[in-house]
Amino acid sequence: MASPDLLFNLRNLFYLGAYQAAINNSDVPGLEADAAAERDAIVFRSYVALGSYQLVISEIDSSAATSLQAVKLLAMYLSGDKQDYTEALKHTHSGGTLDLHALNVQIFIKMHRSDYAEKQLKIMQQIDEDHTLTQLANAWLDIAVGGSKIREAYLIFQDFAEKYPMTGMVLNGKAVCSMHMGSFDEAETLLLEALNKDAKDPETLANLIVCNLHLGNHHHDISAS
Amino acid sequence: MAGERGWWMAGTLVPVPGGNGVWLGHDGSDDATPRRPGHKDNMACARRRFQTIDTASPLVPSCPAARTGGTATVAAASCPHRPIRPPVLHMQWQLARPYQSNGPYLLTPRSNGGRARLPPRHHRVLPRSPSSPRSKAFLLSTEPHTILSPPRSRSTATAPPLSSEAKGFASDASVAGDDETGAVKMLTKFETKSNRVKGLSFHPRRPWILASLHSGVIQMWDYRMGTLLDRFDEHDGPVRGVHFHATQPLFVSGGDDYKIKVWNYKTHRCLFTLHGHLDYIRTVHFHHEYPWIVSASDDQTIRIWNWQSRTCVAVLTGHNHYVMCASFHPKEDLVVSASLDQTVRVWDIGALRKKTVSPADDILRLTQMNTDLFGGVDAVVKYVLEGHDRGVNWASFHPTLPLIVSGADDRQVKLWRMNDTKAWEVDTLRGHMNNVSCVMFHAKQDIIVSNSEDKSIRIWDATKRTSIQTFRREHDRFWILAAHPEMNILAAGHDSGMIVFKLERERPAFSVSGDTVFYVKDRFLRFFEYATQKEVQLAPIRRPGSVSLNQSPRTLSYSPTENAVLICSDVDGGSYELYIAPKDSAGRADYLQDAKKGAGGSAVFVARNRFAVLEKSSNQVLVKNLKNEIVKKSPLPIATDAIYYSGTGNLLCKAEDRVTIFDLQQRLILGELQAPAVKYVVWSSDMESVALLSKHAVVIASKKLVHRCTLHETIRVKSGAWDENGVFIYTTLNHIKYCLPNGDSGIIKTLDVPIYITRVIGNNIFCLDRDGKNKLITVDASEYIFKLALLRKRYDHVMSMIKNSQLCGQAVISYLQQKGFPEVALHFVKDEKTRFNLALESGNIQIAVASAKEIDDKDHWYRLGIEALRQGNVGIVEYAYQRTKNFDRLAFLYLITGYMDKVGFMCKIAGQNNNLMGQFHNALYLGDAKKRVEILENAGQLPLAYTAAATHGLTEIADRLAAELGENVPSLPEGKSRSLLIPPAPLTASGDWPLLRVMHGIFEGGLDATGKADLEEDDEAAGADWGDEDLDMVDASEVMANGGDGFDAEEGDANEEDGEEGGWDLEDLELPEAETPKNAGNARSAAFVAPPPGMPVSLIWTQKSSLAGEHVAAGNFDTAMRLLSRQLGIKNFAPLKPLFLDLHMGSHSYLCALATAPIIPVAVEKGWSESASPNVRGPPALVFTFSQMEDRLKAAYKATTEGKFPEALRQFLNILHTIPLIVVDSRREVDEVKELIEIVKEYILGLRMELKRKELKDDVNRQQELAAYFTNCKLQRVHMRLVLASAMALCYKQKNFATAEHFARMLLENSPNEAQAKRARQVQQQCNGKKDSCELNYDYRNPFVVCGATYVPIYRGQKDVSCPYCGSRFVPSVEGQLCTICELAVVGADASGLLCSPTQLR
Repeated sequence: MASPDLLFNLRNLFYLGAYQAAINNSDVPGLEADAAAERDAIVFRSYVALGSYQLVISEIDSSAATSLQAVKLLAMYLSGDKQDYTEALKHTHSGGTLDLHALNVQIFIKMHRSDYAEKQLKIMQQIDEDHTLTQLANAWLDIAVGGSKIREAYLIFQDFAEKYPMTGMVLNGKAVCSMHMGSFDEAETLLLEALNKDAKDPETLANLIVCNLHLGNHHHDISAS
Repeated sequence: MAGERGWWMAGTLVPVPGGNGVWLGHDGSDDATPRRPGHKDNMACARRRFQTIDTASPLVPSCPAARTGGTATVAAASCPHRPIRPPVLHMQWQLARPYQSNGPYLLTPRSNGGRARLPPRHHRVLPRSPSSPRSKAFLLSTEPHTILSPPRSRSTATAPPLSSEAKGFASDASVAGDDETGAVKMLTKFETKSNRVKGLSFHPRRPWILASLHSGVIQMWDYRMGTLLDRFDEHDGPVRGVHFHATQPLFVSGGDDYKIKVWNYKTHRCLFTLHGHLDYIRTVHFHHEYPWIVSASDDQTIRIWNWQSRTCVAVLTGHNHYVMCASFHPKEDLVVSASLDQTVRVWDIGALRKKTVSPADDILRLTQMNTDLFGGVDAVVKYVLEGHDRGVNWASFHPTLPLIVSGADDRQVKLWRMNDTKAWEVDTLRGHMNNVSCVMFHAKQDIIVSNSEDKSIRIWDATKRTSIQTFRREHDRFWILAAHPEMNILAAGHDSGMIVFKLERERPAFSVSGDTVFYVKDRFLRFFEYATQKEVQLAPIRRPGSVSLNQSPRTLSYSPTENAVLICSDVDGGSYELYIAPKDSAGRADYLQDAKKGAGGSAVFVARNRFAVLEKSSNQVLVKNLKNEIVKKSPLPIATDAIYYSGTGNLLCKAEDRVTIFDLQQRLILGELQAPAVKYVVWSSDMESVALLSKHAVVIASKKLVHRCTLHETIRVKSGAWDENGVFIYTTLNHIKYCLPNGDSGIIKTLDVPIYITRVIGNNIFCLDRDGKNKLITVDASEYIFKLALLRKRYDHVMSMIKNSQLCGQAVISYLQQKGFPEVALHFVKDEKTRFNLALESGNIQIAVASAKEIDDKDHWYRLGIEALRQGNVGIVEYAYQRTKNFDRLAFLYLITGYMDKVGFMCKIAGQNNNLMGQFHNALYLGDAKKRVEILENAGQLPLAYTAAATHGLTEIADRLAAELGENVPSLPEGKSRSLLIPPAPLTASGDWPLLRVMHGIFEGGLDATGKADLEEDDEAAGADWGDEDLDMVDASEVMANGGDGFDAEEGDANEEDGEEGGWDLEDLELPEAETPKNAGNARSAAFVAPPPGMPVSLIWTQKSSLAGEHVAAGNFDTAMRLLSRQLGIKNFAPLKPLFLDLHMGSHSYLCALATAPIIPVAVEKGWSESASPNVRGPPALVFTFSQMEDRLKAAYKATTEGKFPEALRQFLNILHTIPLIVVDSRREVDEVKELIEIVKEYILGLRMELKRKELKDDVNRQQELAAYFTNCKLQRVHMRLVLASAMALCYKQKNFATAEHFARMLLENSPNEAQAKRARQVQQQCNGKKDSCELNYDYRNPFVVCGATYVPIYRGQKDVSCPYCGSRFVPSVEGQLCTICELAVVGADASGLLCSPTQLR
């Protein structure tokens, strides 16, 4: 039998937005060199995601592996606060890794080109249909195209919720689907749960406002009360 | 093959004309050798038997004397039992007929008084004996009553010589091979080792089977428990026939000792023996209804006995060789018999029944006379079935159809059909390699089961008449078969015991999902909803070809989200079928797609749209998607023979001796547990616990397979399910049981038939039975719920259960004691001794005392005392000692507890009792030297008394004593330092020792506080329902009486808001930039050209729509404003700004995707449905809806009713401001929206006037006018009444009686409440005919509208202008100004009208 995938959990934690948990659980024993490098990359990317750019920049020195250098560059780029995402396609379109393809999917969705996004998703599905990133990208696209696909996106998030620890990202994903299916009550429950996990998460707050608006708690009512 | 064999057979026959050659070779001697080679017992007994017959009657043994070579040719002419038949048979009939005129050849079989004699009739009876009564049946018929075998292409010639080559046949059998898969294992349920089993019978209700042995013993087994219940050993020699009575506790047996015995198995006694047969008895059977037994014997007769009168009621003669079996028809008055004379006979016993049914004495006598005169009228042969070429061993009826099946020494099984007039052969089943010993129809399936001396049991398809299964034994020939009358089990007896077995598994394949169980029944996939208890047929499933048994579905796996079902069966050595039912098509089987199929040991869903298929050969699983395509392959960590679901993405793999949980994605083993031969896996609904069921054990483990407990069962475990509380409920063959998380288990209920639990909800156990029917069994769950509550320390539950339910019994008490809950057990017990023991055990001294009082014996008091002492409860100790009169201990107790006075009292008692020693002790305790001296003196111990007195310095007494002693004064030791004997200081000076609260606290408190039912007090719904007309919101009359005005009561922080809101105007509106996407294609590498961005959904919204709300949602505020301006003449957007912002803000949700990458906003669309196509954009879901407006209207009404006018005004305005932005779906709703504007507008006008009125403190005329105008607004009745009352009061106060009277009249017309009406009538009385004191600008006779700005009436015919949005009317001078009612539009502006629905545009 093939060797077990020791980084499986760590990767999922990262993809599903449980960054702190990813950092906390990064001490995986018995890793080979390649896997250890990947582990480090995930940890530093988690720090980046949490906004600890300086930590990443200072921790990764020039002798670190290439992948880590890339993370460092990312941190430096983000800390510079100049974000031009459309430029990104130039670098990412060729794909190669699932991460890149997932990023492409996301960019294409942002560009309202779900047709292109779908092509990227197909590629991902050929690589590994059951990979967390593939599933996630699938869900994003499903939400973007709407209609009956919303249900499928919901089910994908539901699967995540069953399989992995609940993260704000998963809860938000489910909530977004619920809202699009018109179940704002359910969405509110989910978002309040997400708010419990992280009271400052901007997506949660934004979605909660949207949700409340649809539930009839309008701006002036909120401000009046 | 068959043809070849046939040809060969025919070939051997040719040289022997007459067909007897075959036998000649073997039986060529005159010796009456039994025809069964290889039967040792037969050999031996045959001799004995023939001797018997010879002595009984000097007859030629029997018709098959054809066997003896000498008579062969003679027999050929007269005997029908010759091997070669079709042509000869016919001829023979012609021969036979003339004999009929030869007169009765009948031998009377009647016997007197049940004592049968061998009748002098053993002459070879001619084949169709022309006895007149018996031949009636066929004399009337034009058809020959025998069966003419249809000409067959295959040779019906006899098989090769049947010599004692059992072994040879065995090898033949293997060579001949079988068309079917011989590898199938028999589903053996029970097996015994014993002497040869010749007879079998199932008990109709209990799980018992009788086996009669060649050794003469009859055994009664419980095949469920696997135990020998009883043995009956009175027969001398082999017992071949045995049968249970259907209803009575009886069975009958018949043996080689010619005896039929009827037994009562309860009393273990043979009730009586029926004598009459003159040779071995082959079979005995009870009639299902009448008190009859039919027996078949080697004496060539069949006899029917009445076991109540214990007489033989009929003797059926006709067979001319041993009768091997005879049995009643299950419904009709028929008996079928098989004989070695190569025939099967069907007998009509109608006459016998009639006699039994109307047993009037004279008739009975008459018939009996007839019987005596004419022989067996009671039972006549109806048909003689000829066709077998050798002796027939067995024949039996079909349970429902007019069919007979028979098996014979010619190795064939024949199927016969009969109607009212005739019977004929239908087909022959070939395949057995040796004598067929028993054959029968299966009661429930369309199959025939036969067994044979070739050591095999064969199963035949009764319709296709093909062999579908063969079960072989290595060494044992089969002799007998029996079928259970109700259940699907069979039994077979063989040379070394018997087996109880099933042909097919009866467990329905099922899977529980949420509130539904999916299962397979009768080749249909069905589901059953627990809530509604409704059963729905979902779809037909493929019918497996009946090439073999046990092809029905074994397991079922269901994916609720995809509505997909996987069904696994053993078809083709293990395969699955995948059915996907379209949503919402319950019961519409025609919509079901064809199943997708595949091979595999087992298949289960592992995720919503993935299932795993076990590939045993390579020990890997294939993960497939719903298109049945392989997505992934994964090798398995252990040699797996079955897989089970175990949480999303995980598999539970079962090997022979253990199970593991395997994560398919990580390829990790998550848990492993040693558990041999697991058959079923049941997960709890939270997936935290799993139960592994094997044949005789239940293993409970956690989700990581950490072992929790194992239960061993002596009988088979069948099924199980988890209840909501974490109790595992399971069934064995005969019980429903529970298993608590700690491994405690117990029986809940006894079962008659096995069931398969699917779900447990509270007291309700849902299950499937073997027929695939859903059943609900309601059980008393209190025992295990109680134990669970104890286990979980939920004492509140425990208490309420003790209080409320009838939990009792020794079992519970001993359980509680064992588990360390004696204090709980205490509450169940009435028996005082037990109570006492439990009380001591739990340290409950109060109850112990009470019990001790009741019991009142020394031992209990003593034990109470010990316990009380242990606890330090001195009072009880004292009491206990007192009760036992244990003065020594009592005194010591007083000493150490410091009750010196009581010690003194004890001393006195001791003195009274002449207990010197005790008295002295107590004196010692008291430290009373004088007393001691006195005691010693009184006891006559003067020297001691002297010494004591001298030592303690009681010189007076010492001297006196010395005087008394005289010479004998003892000398005191000199030179020693003396110390006084002083009692120790008491340990405690008062009462009990401080006691620890012992564990009974909770229960004591709880149980004593009975009846504290925590009934929740229903809070009355407070707050006024505005529509409730009886509800008087402001007590107007009271206020009036106080001279106040009606609505002032709750005037709050009124009007400031108006001023604040006025600050907005168009210039202030800082609208955010519309979110139009920038062109993305500015920076690209040469090699890669990024696609141009697509159209955002929000752009699509605005392109299609001219509805302002949708433009706002899309963020196009400018176009929205333009639209509103054009449609409604709106110029003031300030009040709309927050609404715009809300609407835009609620138009998109936000999806966080990859870390550090931008968030994706997703447009929220309206009217989502499951079936909506992707990529087709709908209109935006707006945060404002018409239904919200209706709710707000209600709120505004309520505020009005409550007199909160500024608040009400704010709410009405809010409605009016929101309406331009809402979108409705239908024309009807558009009209409703317009109606709403109308309503709201009126209220706003009225409320503004009312507020204005309150500002005017001095101008009472204007106040009255405004109040009067308010009554002109269109209001809800409840409001109208209040407004009228207010205006009436105001005018009355100002002595404008005429107007006041008008208002009073109007009020009365508006169905006022009692107080209002009373007040109005008073006003009417007071005002009657009086005139107004001053003129008001109010003429109620002349219709008018009120100007929204100046609040003056515009009477009909006067010029006015109106607001393009809200439709309020104004005096012309207001034209061009902002509407004061809606605050949005410009009065008199041009506008196209309200547009609030896409339907208006079509």
